[in-house]
Amino acid sequence: MKWHEAPLLPLSAAFALGIVAAPWAAAAPGRLLVAGGLLLGLGACAAALGRYRPCEGAATVALLAVTFVLGALRGATEPLPADHIARAELAPVVRIEGRLADEPIRWAPDRTRLSLEVDGYFDRNDRRPASGRLQVTLYGETAPVGEGQRVSVELKLSRPRGFRNPGGFDYPAFLRREGILLVGSGRAESLAALTADEPPWPVRVKRWAVAAIGAHLPETSAALLAGLILGEKKGLPPESDEAFRRAGVYHILAVSGFNVALLASSVFFVLSALGISRRATAVTAGAALVGFALVVGGQASVLRATVMGLLLLAALLLDRKSQLMNALALAALALLTWRPGDLWDPGFQLSFAATAGIIYLTPAITAWLAARGWPAWLATAVAVSVGAQAAVTPVMLIHFNQLSLIGIAANLIVVPLAAVATTLGMLALLVALASAVAADVIFPALWLVLVALRAAVWAAAAVPAAMIHLPAPGWAAIFTWSMALALVPFLGARRWTRSAAAACLIAALALSIWPWVEPGDGRLRITFLDVGQGDAILVELPEGQRLLVDGGAAGARRLDVGERVVAPYLWNRPAARVDAVAVTHSDTDHSGGLRAVLTRFRVGELWENGRWGPGSEETLRAAERSGACRRTLVAGQRIWLGSALVTVLNPDGTLPLDEPAPDGENEQSLVLRLDWRGFSLLLTGDLGRPGEERVLASHAPVRVLVLKVGHHGSRFSSTGEFLAATRPEVAVISVGARNPFRHPTPDALARLEAAGARIYRTDRDGAVILETDGASLWITRWASGTVERLDLDPERGA
Amino acid sequence: MSYSHPQLKLLLLLAALFLAGLGVREWRMGFPDAAERLERFDREDPPPPIPPAPRLRAAPRWAAAARPEAPAPPRAVPPPRARAPATPPVPIADPRPLDLNRASAEEISRLPGVGPSLARRIVEERDRRGRFESADGLRGILGMGPKKLAALREHVTVGE
Repeated sequence: MKWHEAPLLPLSAAFALGIVAAPWAAAAPGRLLVAGGLLLGLGACAAALGRYRPCEGAATVALLAVTFVLGALRGATEPLPADHIARAELAPVVRIEGRLADEPIRWAPDRTRLSLEVDGYFDRNDRRPASGRLQVTLYGETAPVGEGQRVSVELKLSRPRGFRNPGGFDYPAFLRREGILLVGSGRAESLAALTADEPPWPVRVKRWAVAAIGAHLPETSAALLAGLILGEKKGLPPESDEAFRRAGVYHILAVSGFNVALLASSVFFVLSALGISRRATAVTAGAALVGFALVVGGQASVLRATVMGLLLLAALLLDRKSQLMNALALAALALLTWRPGDLWDPGFQLSFAATAGIIYLTPAITAWLAARGWPAWLATAVAVSVGAQAAVTPVMLIHFNQLSLIGIAANLIVVPLAAVATTLGMLALLVALASAVAADVIFPALWLVLVALRAAVWAAAAVPAAMIHLPAPGWAAIFTWSMALALVPFLGARRWTRSAAAACLIAALALSIWPWVEPGDGRLRITFLDVGQGDAILVELPEGQRLLVDGGAAGARRLDVGERVVAPYLWNRPAARVDAVAVTHSDTDHSGGLRAVLTRFRVGELWENGRWGPGSEETLRAAERSGACRRTLVAGQRIWLGSALVTVLNPDGTLPLDEPAPDGENEQSLVLRLDWRGFSLLLTGDLGRPGEERVLASHAPVRVLVLKVGHHGSRFSSTGEFLAATRPEVAVISVGARNPFRHPTPDALARLEAAGARIYRTDRDGAVILETDGASLWITRWASGTVERLDLDPERGA
Repeated sequence: MSYSHPQLKLLLLLAALFLAGLGVREWRMGFPDAAERLERFDREDPPPPIPPAPRLRAAPRWAAAARPEAPAPPRAVPPPRARAPATPPVPIADPRPLDLNRASAEEISRLPGVGPSLARRIVEERDRRGRFESADGLRGILGMGPKKLAALREHVTVGE
C-alpha cells in the first residue's frame, strides 16, 4: 500500500487524536478556535507561495494540525441545554414523559431496560418541558411497548454509578458518551403509553424478521440466526455465547462488513443471473445496503461497513479503482464527526482495527504464504484471519482481557459456514415474505447448517486453552506492537525493516510479560473490591499467594459481578491462579460471583462452611467441576497461607451440616482471622449478634487491627460487646450505595465510631486497598485516590 | 432452450437447497427425538435447585425431622465431605412436658404422632370439658389409640 493511495488516512488519524485530546482542550475552546484559524491562515499562505517542497510540507502539517483542532472541538463536551433533565430540580419520585429511543430490553422476566428521550416532566401537577436521555430500569411485568412510542412513567432518578475499582470499567463515562447523565428506576405498573405502538418501518421489519425466524426454527438455532443476520443475540443461551467467545468467532454475531459483503454479492449473483446490467445491479445493491443498515440499527460496525460498501459500489459505478484503506479512513472520519464518543466504543475499535488489519496485512501475508507453496485460497483465508486477529488483539485485551488462541484456525471453518447460513437466512426471510410453504422447506436446510456451525464452534471452544486471559496492555506495549505490524508489508523490501520489526515485537512481548515477572514489593495487600451490595476481598501475600474471600453478587436477575468486576480485576493483577477461595456462606451476594472465579481461574482450595442454600446452585456446580480441593472449615483450624496465618473462628461445628441453622444461615458464616507480622484482620462474612456472642464465648483471639464489618453494617451485627473485644482501628464496610436493606445502619456506624474505628466504605470510597509491610499500613480509597498511613503498634495483637 | 452459466448455477443451487430442505424436514418428522437432541447438543441443564431450609421456630419443640407426617425435605445436594465433628442429628426434644390445658392447637400438633386435625379435636374436647384432669382425658378422642396415648404420656402434663 502506498500513502498517496489513502490520502484521508492521516486526516482521520489527526481527527481521532484531536478527539482523544478533547478533555484537555475543552478548558479553552476559544483559544483553540483562534489557534485553528491561525494554523489555517499559515497553511493557506504556505500553499499560496507555490510548489516548493518546503512550502507544501508546511501546508500539509498545517492541514493536519487544523484537522486535529477540529477533532478537539468536536470531541469537547457540549454544555448542557438549559432545559436538560439533569439540570432540573426534581422531586424524589417524578413522572417523566418521553419517547422510547430503542426497543425495550427484557433482561430478566421482571426487569426491563428502556432508553427514554425525555420531552417533559411533572412538577406536582405542572408539566415542564425538558430534554435529555435517560436509561430506565423497570421492575415488574412491563406492558408491551416499542421503539418510537411516547410513554409516561414514574421514576426515581439518580446519577449512574459503576463499580470503582483499579482498572475497572467506567460505567458513568460510558453512559455519558451515550448522552445519558441520569438513570431512573421505577415500577413497571407506573408505565403508561401515551401513543400507540406504531414504530417506523425498519423496526417493523426487524420485529417481523425475528418473529419469522423464531416461528421456523427451534430456539437456540433461531437465536443464532437472528445474531448472524440482525445482530440480535439476546436470545442466545449463555453457554453458546461463551463458546463463540472462546472460539474467537464472536465477531460473526455482530453485523459487520461480513454481512454487508454477503448481501451485496448475493444481489450481484442473483441479478447478474437475471441478466440485469452492472450499473443497475450496483444501484440495487446500494439500496439494499442502506435498507439493511436501517433495519439492523446504528452500531459502529454496521455504519462502517455500509459506508465502505457504498463507496466501493460508487467506485464500481464510476469505473474508478477503489482504495479500501481510503474508504476505511473516510468511514472513520464520517462516523467520528457524527458521533465522536464512538472512538471509545469497543465495537468501533474492533471493527476498524480488524478491517485495517485485513486491508494492510493480508497482501503481505498472502504473498509470503503463497511463496511457500500454499494454495492461493488457503493462503488468503489464513492471511485474512491472521491480519484481523493481530490487529484486534490489543483491543480485545484492553476491553475484555481475552485472547483466543484457537481463533485463527476456528475462523477458517466457522466463517464459511456462517457465510452460508447468513446467505441462506436472508434468502429464507425473503421467501417467507412470499410463501410460508416454501419457507418451510428452506428453513430445515438452514437448520442443518446452523447446527453444523454450532458444532464447529463448540468443538473449537472445547480445545484446552482455546482462550487465555491476559492483563490489559499498557500504552508502550500497544505502540510497539502497532509499529511491528506497520512494518510487516516492508519486511521483504529492506534489511533494516526486519531488525526494526523484530525489535518492536520483542519490546511488545517483553512489556506484556513484565507484569507477570515483576518482583513484588514485599507487602501484604488486601483489596476490598467495590462490588455493590456484597463482599469480595482479595488478600495477596508478598510471596505471591492469593486468597479471595467471597465473590460479590450474581444470580438470575442481576449483573454477574464475578464476571464483570472480580475476574477482570484478577486478570489485570495479573493472576491466573487463586490459591484459596473462601466462601463465607452461600448467600448470593457472597457466593454468586465465585462461579465465574471458579470456572475461569485455577483455584487451589475452596474453603467453605459446608452449607449451600438456594441460589448458590451454579456456584456449587462450578466448585464441583473446578477440581479445587474443598475444605469445610470449623473453628479452631489454622492454615498457613504463605507467611500469613489464617485462623478459623466460626462456625463451631456443633450444628450438623444437613440441619437448618436455628438462628439463621448468616450465623454460620466462616469467620477468618489473618495474622501477618504486626497486622491482623478479621473477616466476618454476614455474622450477626448470635454468632458474635458464640465467637466471644469461645475465647478465641479476636482483637484485631482491621475488621471487615459483619453483614454490610447491619443493625444486628457489630454489637458493642463484640467491638469492645475486637477493638479495631480500621473498619471496612463492603456495601452497595442505595441498597434496599439500608445498610450500613446508623446504629452500627455509631457503635463503630464509639469504638474508635476509622470507617471505610466501598459505597463511598470505591475499592478500599490496604497495604502493609508489617510496620506501617497504607489505606487507599480508590474513588478519591487518597492514601492514609497508619503506623502499626508492635505491641498490638491478641 | 438453454440457460446461461450464472442462471444454471443459481438454479442448481436452489434445487439443491430445496432438496436438502425437504430431506431434513422428512428426517425431523420421522425422528423428532433425535432432532431435538441434535438441536440441544450444546445446551446445559441448569443445576438442580437447592430447596430452601425449613424455617425453624424460635424454640424448637419437635425437630421437624422427628415428625413422621412432615419429614424435612431431602436436600437435593448432599453437603460435601464434612470435616465437622459428625454428631448424629438427634431430634432436639424440649425437656419440659407440654401443658395440655394451656397449649394451643399448633403446639399440640407438634407432639409425636399428633397431626393438625387431631390437635384440633383435642382442643375442642378441652373446650367442651373445660379442662383435662389428667392425660387419661385424651382417651376417647377420635384418633387417639392406647399406643399413641402411651407414647404421649411422658411429653404432656396437665396444669390447674
